[in-house]
Amino acid sequence: MTRFAHRLRQIMRLAVKEWRLLARNPHGLAVLFFMPAIFVLVMSFTLKNTLVARIDLPVAGWLVEDTHPAAQAWSQEWLDRHGGQRYDSREALRAALRARDIDAAVVVRSPWLGDDGQPRAEQVELWLGNRVQPAAAARLRTELSFSMLQVRMRIAAAEAGPFASVLLDSAATPELMGEGGGPQVRYLYELESGRPMTAVQQSVPAWLVFGMFFVVIPIAGVLIQERNEGTLTRLASFGVSPGTVLGSKLVAFMLLNWVQLAFMIAVGRWLVPLLGGPALQLDIAPGWFALMVLATSAAAVGLALLIAAHSRSFDQAAALGGGLNVVLGAIAGVMVPRMLMPPGLQTVSEWSPMGWALDGLQAVFLGDPQAGDIVLRAGLLLGFALLCLMVAWWPIRHQERAG
Amino acid sequence: MSTAPVLVAEQLAYRYPRQPEAALRGVDLVLHRGQAVGLLGPNGSGKSTLINLLIGLRTPQGGRLVHPQGAAPRIAWVPQEYAFYPELTCQENLQLFADLLDVGAAERQRRIETAVASGQLQEFVSRRARHCSGGVRRRLNLAIALLQRPDVLLLDEPTVGVDPQSRAFLLARVRELVQGGTAVLYATHYMEEVSAVCSDIVLLDHGRVIAHGDLATLLQGSEGGAPFADLEALFMHHTHRSLRD
Repeated sequence: MTRFAHRLRQIMRLAVKEWRLLARNPHGLAVLFFMPAIFVLVMSFTLKNTLVARIDLPVAGWLVEDTHPAAQAWSQEWLDRHGGQRYDSREALRAALRARDIDAAVVVRSPWLGDDGQPRAEQVELWLGNRVQPAAAARLRTELSFSMLQVRMRIAAAEAGPFASVLLDSAATPELMGEGGGPQVRYLYELESGRPMTAVQQSVPAWLVFGMFFVVIPIAGVLIQERNEGTLTRLASFGVSPGTVLGSKLVAFMLLNWVQLAFMIAVGRWLVPLLGGPALQLDIAPGWFALMVLATSAAAVGLALLIAAHSRSFDQAAALGGGLNVVLGAIAGVMVPRMLMPPGLQTVSEWSPMGWALDGLQAVFLGDPQAGDIVLRAGLLLGFALLCLMVAWWPIRHQERAG
Repeated sequence: MSTAPVLVAEQLAYRYPRQPEAALRGVDLVLHRGQAVGLLGPNGSGKSTLINLLIGLRTPQGGRLVHPQGAAPRIAWVPQEYAFYPELTCQENLQLFADLLDVGAAERQRRIETAVASGQLQEFVSRRARHCSGGVRRRLNLAIALLQRPDVLLLDEPTVGVDPQSRAFLLARVRELVQGGTAVLYATHYMEEVSAVCSDIVLLDHGRVIAHGDLATLLQGSEGGAPFADLEALFMHHTHRSLRD
C-alpha cells in the first residue's frame, strides 16, 4: 500500500470513529439536528408576516367620547367596513385589550372637530395590545389617517358645491387601501426566481448555517478528550500524523454537514407544510448550491477545530464555541433577517463568516444566484477555513507529543 | 546479556522550549531482546521524555538512537492514561487501532484475535470501554499496544489503579512477552513490580542516569558498603528523601 493510500485509509477509519462517537452522543445530535430544526419551525411561522407586503388589519374597539354626529358617523363607518365594536369607557377598552377580545383600541376625544370644522388627528388616541406586530400597527395608523383625510375631503367637497362632491365620489378610494388594493409589491428575488418569498425559504439556509457551525460541540468533545486522555499521543505512536487527525475530523464533519442539510431540507419541505406553513422550494442551481455548502462546511469545521485545539477543557470550548456562534449568528442575520437590521449593521453583517455563508446560501435558495457573488463568498469561506486549520494544526502537533 | 541489542540510545539530550533545565542530559540505554529494564526515577526525572524520544514522538537534540539490527524495530507504547475511546466497545477500539496499521486485513484480524486472547478480553469485547472495570481497561490498554507486534514495548505506569488480581495478570503478561523475545522498558513508581519483572534497572534523576545495571548486582551495594534491603532502599539512597513536587 502506498504511503498516500495508507494515510487515506487512516483518515477514513478515524472519520468512521468520529461518526460512531457522535451517534452515541445524544447531546451532540440534539445540537446539530434538533436545535436548528426547531428554530426553522419557529422562525418560519414567526417571520411569516414580516415577509408579506400586506398584512391583516388588527381588530379595533372604539370609544367615541365626542357626541358630535360627525364623530359618531366616522366611527360607525369604520366599524361597518372593518369590523370591531364600541365600548362605553376607557376601563372597558383596557379590559378588552387585556382579555385580547380586540387587538387595538381607538379613542376619539372630545372635541374631535376643530374650530374650522375639520377633524383633528391629535384628538384620536390609538392603543395597541402587547402582541400587535409593528407592521400591523403601522397599517392601522395609516388607515385611520387616511379615513380622517376622507372625512376632511368630504367636508371640503360639500363646501365647494355639488360638482366637487360628485367628483370625489367618482374617485372613491377605499379600494386603494382595501385587501388586494394598491401597488403590487415584489422583492427582487421574486422577480428573479418567479416565486414568492417565504419565511421558510429564508429560515432553512439561515438555520442550516447556524447548525453547521455548531459542529464545534462534538468536535471539541472528542478532540479534548483525545488530548487529555493521551489518545492523540497514542495515535501518533501508531503513525498517525497531526495532518491525518485534522483531515479525519474535516472529512467526518463535512460529510455530517450534508446529513444536517438533508435533515433541514426535509423539515422545510415536508414538516413546515404539515404544520400549515409554506413548503421549501427546491428548484435551485445545484452547482452553486454544492459549492456554497462545501465552503460553508469547511469554514464551520475549520473554526470548530481551531476552537477545540486551543481550548483547555470541553467546558471552555463549549462556552467559547457556543457563545461565538450565537454572536456570529446574530451579526450575520440568522436570528433576525438582515432586512430588519439598520443599514450600518447590515454592512457589518456582510463581513462575517456566517454572513458570507448566509448570503451565498440565501442567494441560492431565494433567487437567481450570480456567479461573482457565489464564487467570492465561497472563496472567502474557504480562505477562512484554511486559516483556521493552519492555526489549529500547531497545538494538535504539540499535543500529540505531550504524552 | 547474551541476546542481541535491539535499540540503543547514546547520549540522548533534550530540553523543552522556554525551560531553563534540560529534561535529559546524555542518557545511555541499551535494550536487548527478551530483556525487561525497569525505568525508575522521581517525578520530573525525565522518564516520560526518554519514552517520547524512544517512540519517536520527539527528536533528540543531542545524541542518537541506534538500531543495531539494521531496520528500525517496531516500538509500541502503553501509556499511563487510558489512551483509547471510552464510548467505543473494546472490539471497536482494537479494530480502530488495528486499522491504523499498514498491514493487510487478514493480518489485522489475526492481531486483534491475538490481542483479545492475550488480554483475556473475550468476555468484554462488545462492552463499551467506559463500562469496563479499571482492570479490564488496563488490559485493553496493553492489548492495543500489542496490536503493533512490537520488538520493543514501553510501559509507562501500566498498573495504576488496578486490583491485585489484575496487577498480577498484567505482570504475568509482561513476563510472557519478555520470554517471547520482546524488549521491555518498564517505567513505574512501584518498586515491587520492577523487582518482579525486570532483570535490569535504569535510575534517572534530573535528566541523568544515576545508576544502571543488573538489579541483583546493584542491590549488593558498592564495594565495602552494606547491601540494600530492597529496591526502594536503593532508590532512596540515590535520589534522597527530599520532595520533588
